[in-house]
Amino acid sequence: MKTYARFPDLFEELFYQALRIRLFEERIIALYPSDKIQSPVHLSIGQEAAAVGACRQLEPADLLFCSYRSHAYYLAKGGPMPAMMAELYGKVTGCGQGKAGSMHLAAPEVGLMGCSAVVASTIPHAVGAALAAKLQKQSRIIVAVFGDGATDEGVYHESLNFAALHKLPVIFLCENNGWAAYSPVAARHAYQLRKQAQVYGIPASAVEEGFCPLKVYKAFGRVVDQVRKTSSPCFIEVKTSRYREHVGIGDDFSSGIRQRAELEAWQAKDPLIQRQDLVAKYTPDIAAEIDAAVRYAEESPWPGPEELLKDVI
Amino acid sequence: MTSPTNSDVLTYREAVHQTMRAALRDNPRTIIIGQGVDDHKGIFGSTAGLLKEFGGERVMDTPLAEEGVTGIALGAALNGLYPIQTHIRADFILLAMNQLINLAAKYKYMFGGRFQVPMLIRVVIGRSWGQGAQHSQSFQSLFAHVPGLVVIMPSSPQTILESYPYVIRQHPGPVIAFEHRLMYDLKFHMSELRVGHSPLTSFRIRAGKHVTIVATSIMVMEAVRAAEHLARHSDIDCEIIDLHCVSHPDQELILASLAKTGKLLVADTSWKAYGVCAEVCRLVAERAPGLLQAPVVTLGMQPAPCPTAKSLEDLFYPNLRDLTDALAALVKGRRDHGIRLPDEKSMADVYKKFKGPF
Repeated sequence: MKTYARFPDLFEELFYQALRIRLFEERIIALYPSDKIQSPVHLSIGQEAAAVGACRQLEPADLLFCSYRSHAYYLAKGGPMPAMMAELYGKVTGCGQGKAGSMHLAAPEVGLMGCSAVVASTIPHAVGAALAAKLQKQSRIIVAVFGDGATDEGVYHESLNFAALHKLPVIFLCENNGWAAYSPVAARHAYQLRKQAQVYGIPASAVEEGFCPLKVYKAFGRVVDQVRKTSSPCFIEVKTSRYREHVGIGDDFSSGIRQRAELEAWQAKDPLIQRQDLVAKYTPDIAAEIDAAVRYAEESPWPGPEELLKDVI
Repeated sequence: MTSPTNSDVLTYREAVHQTMRAALRDNPRTIIIGQGVDDHKGIFGSTAGLLKEFGGERVMDTPLAEEGVTGIALGAALNGLYPIQTHIRADFILLAMNQLINLAAKYKYMFGGRFQVPMLIRVVIGRSWGQGAQHSQSFQSLFAHVPGLVVIMPSSPQTILESYPYVIRQHPGPVIAFEHRLMYDLKFHMSELRVGHSPLTSFRIRAGKHVTIVATSIMVMEAVRAAEHLARHSDIDCEIIDLHCVSHPDQELILASLAKTGKLLVADTSWKAYGVCAEVCRLVAERAPGLLQAPVVTLGMQPAPCPTAKSLEDLFYPNLRDLTDALAALVKGRRDHGIRLPDEKSMADVYKKFKGPF
């Protein structure tokens, strides 16, 4: 896979993309107390590497279906940053014309086919899109992105079964951050994620070092190759860590549900924290891009009353 | 599809089957997906033989996974297919409520108009022969309540031949069609198809002077029978409106009729509270209460789950006698109207062709 000319190697390119997402979300945190963004945000901070590593393996024609925690996927798949910031502001120039907010991002022009706030609800959409790809003999593959919490839902199991039964070109990408809101995985799962997928005959792999975009990139690349070659589903689990609270800009320590040491152990391996040389190198460019996106959002108009009843049917 | 002439006779089942076959034949991207669509019974015959003609990729049996399959249909629609999903009993659609209400209904609006999810979901209302509490429900109002969904209730082969091809070819979003099992075996005389405008509306199917009947699904047929009885045995002249598109009825048609008759009876296949009966009353109460010369009368299922014993089921549903009596009392303004009533007490006895189990 070629790297972009502006980066010395693939790691730095992926690092740049991950940093771009982190700085974007840190800007959200800075803006949030102003109430300029009135939308529940489910921040990807800590989980950027999964999105960046995976999306770098995808073609624009490949389709992605995501959850409410998808700022990272929107940016990593190539969605325009100004339209995203405008959407968070509720402006008519947003990617959903101000009707979507943080939880319903979409950028069909780059293959992001929708994000839903109802847990697991887009997983069958990915399977359906893969069914359509198969029947129409398209070469694209489809990716369902979800968290470990989504695997609790019945529709997840229905989706795995259908995809395996009909040999559909879909990747089930599970970001396992160990938490469903404030419930730890141990309180929810009698099953083990990969074994459970294998029950349906779906090959399952994992990335333990989900903090590293390059590791995700490589592991996800193997899965992409397999799905393109076999036109059958695969499951991949990316171990990751949610630095912030389930929703909003807070953390999970003041409430006592998580120990700071657990997070710090993970952060000690996070390149976006450890590689301050690269952070310093790329922050100015990215900050300028974010500034421009904020300006665009602030200067954009609100949706007018004519928008209220548009696009219902 | 050629327009049938007046002499054509068609069953409800044949009409659905014609439209399903045409949908597969006319567009290679159409699929029919649902539990049992490819088996030897083929959803009461409505998809019979289609597997052989079009293959298992386009006439696709599914696991028993209503929510998943509805989401799969939605995802397929997002990537270019036109899915027709079936539920052999309307009751099973409850398992797909999340996908229908949280996703399908909102997929266009919630993303600022960037997506469309055209799809047809056919569900079959059961009635009689002990269908009981979970094979008899009629949930049109649940779905019509939600912006973004279009709900129709075909009352005849004609409305099927008018609506399904239009929906499949032209409608950009999800449509839920409530079919009625008891009509599947019945032969209907066909009229010229009403073309040239969207069939996602209501239709006046009988002109009359004294009372407006707004009815849905099989109650349209019952209304016609009641009107014909009253025409034979009294001077009462009923106007009948087939509400048809219960989510987007033709309000002006109803109000114009009411302006003429001053009296309104609503007959629906479901419970009255918060349903079609209540909604039609809201329309009149909000827009033209002064048109009413008498209180509105509504007919629907009794406010209980559906019992299986025939003795109770016959009380649970309104029958031709109830409907005729209610119309006569409404028009004459008194219970002791003196008009001869039909002695029919059970719809199941009339539609003898429906003999269980399903």
